[in-house]
Amino acid sequence: MLLAVVGPGIITGNVDNDATGITGYALAGSHFGYELLWLLVVTAICLVAIQSMVARMGTVTGKGLSDLIRERFGIAPTLWVMIFLFFANAATTVAEFAGVGGAAQLLFGDVARYAAIPLAAILVWFLVLRGSFRVVERILLLLTLVYLGYIVSAFLAHPKWGDVIHHTVVPTFHFTPSFILIFITIVGTTITPWMAFFQQSNVADKGLHPDDLKYERIDTIAGILMLNVVAFFIIVATGATIYAAHVTVDPSDPSAFSKIALALKPLAGQYAEQLFAIGLLNASLMAASVLPLSTTYAITEAFGLERGIDKSFREAPVFLTIYTAMIVIGAGIAMFPRAPLVLITNLPNIINGMLLPLLLPLLILLANDKRIMGRYANSPLFNVFSGAVMVFLTAVTLAFLASIFFPGLFAGR
Amino acid sequence: MTEPFPKVTGVILKNNRKVRSLDWAVVRSWDNKELSLKVDAASLQPHSRADTELWLARQILDKQIVDMDGRRVVRVNDLQLSQVEGSTLVIGVDIGSRGLARRVGLEGLGRRVTAAIGLDWPQKLISWEAVDPVKTDVSSVKLRIAHTKLAKLHPADIADIVNELSPDDRSAVFAALDDEKAADTLEEIDEPQMQASILERLDVERASDILEAMAPDEVADLLADMPRERAQQLLQKMEEDEAGDVEELLAYREDTAGGLMTTEYVAVLHTLTAAEAIERLRELEPDAESVYYVYVTDEEEHLLGVLSLRDLIVAKPETKIRDFMIKNVISVRLDAGPREVAEVTSKYNLLAVPVVDEHNRIHGIVTVDDVMERVMPARAGGRRRRIF
Repeated sequence: MLLAVVGPGIITGNVDNDATGITGYALAGSHFGYELLWLLVVTAICLVAIQSMVARMGTVTGKGLSDLIRERFGIAPTLWVMIFLFFANAATTVAEFAGVGGAAQLLFGDVARYAAIPLAAILVWFLVLRGSFRVVERILLLLTLVYLGYIVSAFLAHPKWGDVIHHTVVPTFHFTPSFILIFITIVGTTITPWMAFFQQSNVADKGLHPDDLKYERIDTIAGILMLNVVAFFIIVATGATIYAAHVTVDPSDPSAFSKIALALKPLAGQYAEQLFAIGLLNASLMAASVLPLSTTYAITEAFGLERGIDKSFREAPVFLTIYTAMIVIGAGIAMFPRAPLVLITNLPNIINGMLLPLLLPLLILLANDKRIMGRYANSPLFNVFSGAVMVFLTAVTLAFLASIFFPGLFAGR
Repeated sequence: MTEPFPKVTGVILKNNRKVRSLDWAVVRSWDNKELSLKVDAASLQPHSRADTELWLARQILDKQIVDMDGRRVVRVNDLQLSQVEGSTLVIGVDIGSRGLARRVGLEGLGRRVTAAIGLDWPQKLISWEAVDPVKTDVSSVKLRIAHTKLAKLHPADIADIVNELSPDDRSAVFAALDDEKAADTLEEIDEPQMQASILERLDVERASDILEAMAPDEVADLLADMPRERAQQLLQKMEEDEAGDVEELLAYREDTAGGLMTTEYVAVLHTLTAAEAIERLRELEPDAESVYYVYVTDEEEHLLGVLSLRDLIVAKPETKIRDFMIKNVISVRLDAGPREVAEVTSKYNLLAVPVVDEHNRIHGIVTVDDVMERVMPARAGGRRRRIF
């Protein structure tokens, strides 16, 4: 019943709480307490700008984003966006399978990941192609209720609510490499290009009428709120437990996950690790089944190739090849015994970060095009809004790239 | 565009952010990379674009088209122009990876690579004769594309193609079909949601015309999936007869014989002779689907018997039909479930079964394909599996 009203926005928002998301927020909370809470307000605003734009385009045109990019900008920009999208999403898929491995490690011990990752890959492949994707999606969505655990846990940990509110409203910033890294990680993991493609295809496929726009807007905002409320309480819960107890979490440490799990201790006691693992497993599986599929759709749509999950290999060879390749690459790299997990979870942020400044201007141009959008084109006010978002995100990306190529840049202070 | 291959009439030049439309006559030569003009840039002959002309870059290149030979929707990667007797013609479109590579300047490289590993890299070209453009230019007036080629396909093929298009392009196709074809195509689309969304984007007059050409049971199924207000509006615009039939069907629950049946059936009075009955059939002009059986009733529509067309034709013209009709008719009640209807049709090998009320009055028939569609779990290759 409740699930019947779940729209594209809510699904997109929840899928975004994936393995990189959960670890990102937990790291933020355990390193800096509540100091980064304000950033969630900023990312929520950015997401509203981007996601409401694609939802509107999907509703008005009934077409996917890559479809519109190809038709409006021609082949060269499309090719670049698709190449970046493929690598960004492949990298994120690796991180999701690494999340599956991490969860299995917590639940069943160290060796379990070598069984869990291939198993998850096969499961995802079959369920999406040969089972009912909708049913799977709904079950996983229901399981995201595990995140409510963070809300309860946050309250049980008795945080100083005054501090929480203060840091939500008043921005704090430190010019230290570690702070900047986590700042960028949160922006990178929350605002991702695939969300734009995913939500627009989802909206377009529903065949909504422009008259439905106001419901679609509510759906979009609800999805973003759910996403950021969960993120908020993950930071509060980790801040009130891990940070308050002065536990340091080193992301390259193999036991980092079990330390992050401490945030659920006020709620689950000795079962905190298990509860965390279930949440992580669910988040990873959901994203691992959505990402390869939505990427493959975007690419085949841009180049006008046969696509569809009910097609045989003969009918849609490219579609099935790309889809299978993404899962094999994702699971394969995550399987490496000494896979550099820090790099794995950060690589998607780097590529996503590079894709965003490329994609956002295209998005804004499309949403302004009267030939495509008719009277539903961006209003001047919305352009100021989305323009500001674009400038902010581009600045963050440039800062990020600078910090990679000149590691000493922010170390001076 | 009456000829098979349209002539290139003009070219649009853009330099220094100035956009100029020029007549094709000023072009001296052209190839993949360059276009050279006969005169200096200052004294160029302007070309005013007529509404009937296609803007290739805006309406064809990178856009979706319907490939009439493959009966599918594909994307145009490149265009094929050719010089024929002094004029330049568009002879086809390229939908393959070679066209794609050519556009980004990688065709030469790709050819060398494929040749080196001993592979063939075929062109995928579609002749313009088999191209039906989809994209409508919405810039000014809504100039609809004629879809003359598409309209010649079988409704089932059109339905498959329409499935791949965006909602606006879908209604553009329907706007171009005649009522009869549009109705048949709409019936072939299995998803009530999509049917409803297509009708919603057409104006009420046109939508109700299409509905009138459809079987009443299909119309009832469709309207049941629409917002009540809109359904009412459409019903009011339909002719009274048709609307009445549909309203009656709408009153029955979907999972009963009443909900499955159609009111298009052939019934004749028991007092007629065989010759008169045949004459009556001529007047009724029944659809192919509903003429499997000829039902015999009295003045109050009580079901008395049934005849096949064969029975009617071989009987002596002056014989009363009640004398040679089959008297014990197999029928189902209005509230019978789909499974029961299916069992009855298969047990007695019927193509259609009449539906009667508690007084044995006939209300409609359920055809075997309608009931099978209901009881069989999703036909193979039928409904599209949705991912979102």
